[in-house]
Amino acid sequence: MLADFELVKRAREGDHSAFTELVQAYRKRILGTIARLIGHPEDVEDVGQEVFLRLYFSLDQLRTPEVFEPWLYRLTVNAAYDYLRRQRRRGEARMADLSEQQVVWADAIAGGRIQQEEQRRKNLREFVQLLLAAVSEQDRILLILKEIEGLSLKELEKIYRVNENALKVRLFRARQRVLRAFAAVQSKSARAGGS
Amino acid sequence: MNHQDPQQDELRGLFRAYREACPDPEPEPNFMPRLWQRIDAQQSLARDLKWLTEGLVTAAAALSLLMGIFLVRRESPVSFYTSTYVEVLADQEHEGESVAEIIPVALDRF
Repeated sequence: MLADFELVKRAREGDHSAFTELVQAYRKRILGTIARLIGHPEDVEDVGQEVFLRLYFSLDQLRTPEVFEPWLYRLTVNAAYDYLRRQRRRGEARMADLSEQQVVWADAIAGGRIQQEEQRRKNLREFVQLLLAAVSEQDRILLILKEIEGLSLKELEKIYRVNENALKVRLFRARQRVLRAFAAVQSKSARAGGS
Repeated sequence: MNHQDPQQDELRGLFRAYREACPDPEPEPNFMPRLWQRIDAQQSLARDLKWLTEGLVTAAAALSLLMGIFLVRRESPVSFYTSTYVEVLADQEHEGESVAEIIPVALDRF
């Protein structure tokens, strides 16, 4: 826990300076999670603002300060999900198909042909986002929280208010889909390398 | 967990690399002022809505009261019901007798 319970309690009682402290303690981590969830760096700040805005207006509903972190993560997941849904409604192109260009990226990552670090990172980000596009938005968020953010099943249980077994099933299915997409990229890459 | 599956391990490694390739971004310096601005804007919107709702409720209550008064005042001066049915009958009977008394006298004279 990045902030003590006393701070959460004070913020819940309407103490503005406590709320500011709370935001300052969590904003970097939350912005990082959002960046990895939505994959659009230019919108991370806006979604982050939305999360803390929702936090401010819902803090009085928090039963105990002990559940603050799962509560904040739930708000983060909801805001990220809302953002992704809006994006989808706007008809933004989704990375659903594995184009030749993406196969080249995968190949480049595997072979280490691109030397420049930033370019490599960018390619890696786009490649993982492409793989994650193989699953639904909800499953993608769940998978990112588990595999990339490193949250435990117990923590996810508190965030989603779903029992561990149901989460395990959803995670397994999502992982399988991503693995299939990964295998497809690898086989395309191998074919491209062979020809 | 299938740790033997090389693809699973590769995927896990890819996720780790992704985590490293997406470090937590530094928030912009105006993050907090912008957040407080948005909070204030939302609060003032909520205040305005509350004020508008209260105004509408008060206006509706006042209008109901006025309509009530108007209806009560409109109904009270109606003259049909100033006396009871029995009183009206009694009055008519009394008037009838006087007519009956007058008519025979008038016939006798012709």
